[in-house]
Amino acid sequence: MHDLLPNIPNLLNDALSSVHFFMPEIYLGVLFLVVLVTGLVFTRNAGAYCRIISVVGMLLVIAQDVIQLYLPANEVKALFSGMLLLHHTPVVFKLVIDVLSILLLIYFAWDKQLRAHKKGLADLFAIAIASILGLHLMVMSINLLSIYLSIEFVSLASYLMVAYKTDQGNSAGAGLKYALFGAAASAVMLYGISLLYAFTGHTDMVVPEFLQNLSKVDPLAVSLALMLVMAGIGFKLSFVPMHFWVPDVYQGAATPVTAFLSTVPKIAAFGMVLHLIAPFVLHPAWHGFDFKLLFSVIGIVTMIAGNFAAVMQKNIKRMLAYSSIGHTGFALIAIVSFNQAAVSALIFYLAVYALANIGALMLASHFANVTGAEDVDGYKGLGFTMPTASVCFVIILISLTGLPVTAGFIGKVVVFQAAYSVYQQTHNVWLMLLMATGALTTVVALFYYIKIPLYLFLKKADNNHEHHVSTPSLLIAACVISFLLVLVGVFPDLLGKWL
Amino acid sequence: MNALSILIFIPVLFALLIWAIPSAWRNSYKYLTLGAALIQLAVAVYIYLNFQTGAAFGGIDHAGQYQFVQKLSWINFALGDTTRLQIDYYVGIDGISVALLVMSALVMVVATLASWEITSNLKGFFILFLVLDMAVMGVFCALDFFLFYLFYELMLLPLYFLIGMWGGVRREYAAIKFFLYTLFGSVFMLLVMIGLYLSVTDPTTGNHTFNMVTMMSPANYVPGSVFDIANRYLIFGIDARTLGFIILFIAFAIKVPVVPFHTWLPDAHVEAPTPVSILLAGVLLKIGGYGIIRICAGIFPDAALSSAYWIGLLGVISILYGALNALAQRDLKRLIAYSSVSHMGFVLLGIASFTPEGLGGAMMQMVSHGFLSAMLFFLVGVIYNRVHDRDIYNFRGLSTLMPKYTVYVMIAFFASLGLPGFSAFVAEAFSLAGAFKSFTFNGLIPQWMAVCGVVGILLSAAYFLWTLQRMFFGKQLLKGGEAWHLALKDINLRETLTLLPLAVLALALGVMPWLVFDKVNDSVLAIVHFTSQFIGN
Repeated sequence: MHDLLPNIPNLLNDALSSVHFFMPEIYLGVLFLVVLVTGLVFTRNAGAYCRIISVVGMLLVIAQDVIQLYLPANEVKALFSGMLLLHHTPVVFKLVIDVLSILLLIYFAWDKQLRAHKKGLADLFAIAIASILGLHLMVMSINLLSIYLSIEFVSLASYLMVAYKTDQGNSAGAGLKYALFGAAASAVMLYGISLLYAFTGHTDMVVPEFLQNLSKVDPLAVSLALMLVMAGIGFKLSFVPMHFWVPDVYQGAATPVTAFLSTVPKIAAFGMVLHLIAPFVLHPAWHGFDFKLLFSVIGIVTMIAGNFAAVMQKNIKRMLAYSSIGHTGFALIAIVSFNQAAVSALIFYLAVYALANIGALMLASHFANVTGAEDVDGYKGLGFTMPTASVCFVIILISLTGLPVTAGFIGKVVVFQAAYSVYQQTHNVWLMLLMATGALTTVVALFYYIKIPLYLFLKKADNNHEHHVSTPSLLIAACVISFLLVLVGVFPDLLGKWL
Repeated sequence: MNALSILIFIPVLFALLIWAIPSAWRNSYKYLTLGAALIQLAVAVYIYLNFQTGAAFGGIDHAGQYQFVQKLSWINFALGDTTRLQIDYYVGIDGISVALLVMSALVMVVATLASWEITSNLKGFFILFLVLDMAVMGVFCALDFFLFYLFYELMLLPLYFLIGMWGGVRREYAAIKFFLYTLFGSVFMLLVMIGLYLSVTDPTTGNHTFNMVTMMSPANYVPGSVFDIANRYLIFGIDARTLGFIILFIAFAIKVPVVPFHTWLPDAHVEAPTPVSILLAGVLLKIGGYGIIRICAGIFPDAALSSAYWIGLLGVISILYGALNALAQRDLKRLIAYSSVSHMGFVLLGIASFTPEGLGGAMMQMVSHGFLSAMLFFLVGVIYNRVHDRDIYNFRGLSTLMPKYTVYVMIAFFASLGLPGFSAFVAEAFSLAGAFKSFTFNGLIPQWMAVCGVVGILLSAAYFLWTLQRMFFGKQLLKGGEAWHLALKDINLRETLTLLPLAVLALALGVMPWLVFDKVNDSVLAIVHFTSQFIGN
């Protein structure tokens, strides 16, 4: 204890000076408390109040993110004695996550099933805000401890969100499945982290001793430990073979929750992977575990498994779940490339994918609200009775497939470009294989994505659907998203210059 | 305003207009579309008349020799510190494009006139039709590879819906098959395109560029890059440039279509409604041929020359296989679809020879086939609209029932089978002359290929004349009896107005082939000159 005393002032000073760079997260923390209290104080209309407060609060958080965006470009700030790392890339990640979160927060109340929940939505907003705080921590964390804590932070919030509408059987099942697999994955990850700590005596991956000590240990043991850590992260990224929970959970959860789970935590996990593998990949003397090789193999397998499995799906949400696995595989191409261009390309790709995926799920909600259709069979002939929604659906799916002139196409191009430029320098055959798989699975992706337009427009309606009147909010949001996807597809500079 | 940009974006303007007009006025849509097509035709004719010829306007690998050029910076953003994505809106034409551009504009008008038969979902149909129109024009004008690719892919979705929503019984299958085949070709083209972008730098700015003209000059390749001509690079043990060429060739060969990549074509053509069949055969197949000349031969001349034998062989196989298949069909539309495969084989054979005659013949064949296939599909549409049947054996002696129609059928058939005096004769004669000459000129393809091409002409005479005999001559006998007899009225004014210009053009191009050759010649010579540098390398 006495040895520590002299250090305390330094640690305190460090913590206090870090606070200045921690403003978005402080805002989020306060916002969480405000939303929580609002939900408790107002019993009537609590959901509506919480919704307004959280959206306004998120706007303030975004303002704080934007301030951080204007930090000097090459400055790297270590916060809270090396727990978190702040530089340009995490800030952009946070910005993307926050902007998408606003869209999702608005979307929550538009879903019929969620709105009908007897507890109201106030708690959901509080959980979502807490989860976003966790996501912020995820993209900045650099220490094994902070990595684990931030993942758990997000996971706990996610378990609650998935199980939010427990009045229905499959939602409860999905929630339980998610919580069980999630707990197992994080336990495995924690075991890996403890091994790494035992090998090196450090949880801070940036200190030189970490890698030095690790090189002295048996490579097989190190590989095992790192694989275990990757298994935990793989659960969040949902790459093969850690993907098995995805279809059931995405199908079982309320649609806005699916939209949330399939986008923002995934983006944050990618941001975290960048931090996690950076010490290994960038260190020239590190010849042990080859992360690039691991992610190459995983990427290829994930693209193939996700896309081919999606072909056989009939349920829209399940199909989108498998397709999101495929997108994870594609984004791994950028991880394997791992240079500055690849990071920008990764952010571009993920942002566009997330926007399109949210749009697709919004439309799935819209169709479910109006006609009750959840399977593709139920969409027969709806293109003629709901033309605007159907046309938006086509645009969004084309963007997900990655065809011109949509943002999804530009996303594919920038990832390919980054991978190619690395390939040209390193002649890493895996990159070529990844790109070839990425191209090939685009054709497979088209095959299942086009199924929705096929049922909407090409098949004739066989029965008269009972149409319920629904608010046009979802439709308007989907239109805006479609418009944005085409706009960014034609003028990618609008998004590209911010990366 | 640049004439090409007007040509490309006029359809979009009209599509927006149609989108804005309420469905209550749905009858105006076809007139608006016709208006757009006619304006386009006027612009195309203006471009044709003002197109300069001479050795100084050859185009191909000389950026300065392109005409009606417009170049605007379009996409330009940084990825990381060192990489940029830089794309120009860069359009311009040389002799290769101008002939196809004018032909496409005319076929568009014909296709619009054929759209009178469409009765359901008019708004959707005409908007998709116009988007397709824009993409087609864009493909022929684009000089930036990225822009080209964008337009190339943009054609797929409208076509998918046009076939899938307004097509025949098996339309779903045909539409998805077409979409998947073409996309399969083009996704790999995307990889080659990005590889080229990162291999090539603009000599003036030093930045990477998608400019196709820059890609044609070996000097612009970065030493050590994947597609560098000087230092051969191997991918999976295969020469990268050869691999790139093969990928691009397959992408365009699917479009042409070349046997064995042709199986989507009979399905798509048969199931598509008449206007879409006309566009498919008249215009879209030409994009394959155009791509092979402009991109495969232009950017990978070394690989193209060393693969000339195989290109020629595929051409010959297409000619013979297509013709033999056509002989075996009983569905009239399917017969014409296979005849397209056969006729497009001549394009490939002409290109493979890399002689001025062969390439000129290939260009002529594309223009001629554009008009003739539009005419043939329109003629099938006429009879199908009246009785909803097109089985050859269900009709006999139509010449007495529909004399005017029979005259046009005879013109189209005789022109297609290569009767002297019609455009296809000139085209096929030149392609074959090129194929014969190649043996002594550059030694690329053997003479037996040309001989096989001649056999192909014989076969096409066989199936066209046999069909003529089965359907139009002899004693009148119809499967549908009296009902068909009443339904099968002779062609009306709209149909005459559509068919007459096509028939006149088929004859005019046969008698005055210089209408095409004058404009095309300089570019053809430029390609031959440009590729000849790579012979023997």
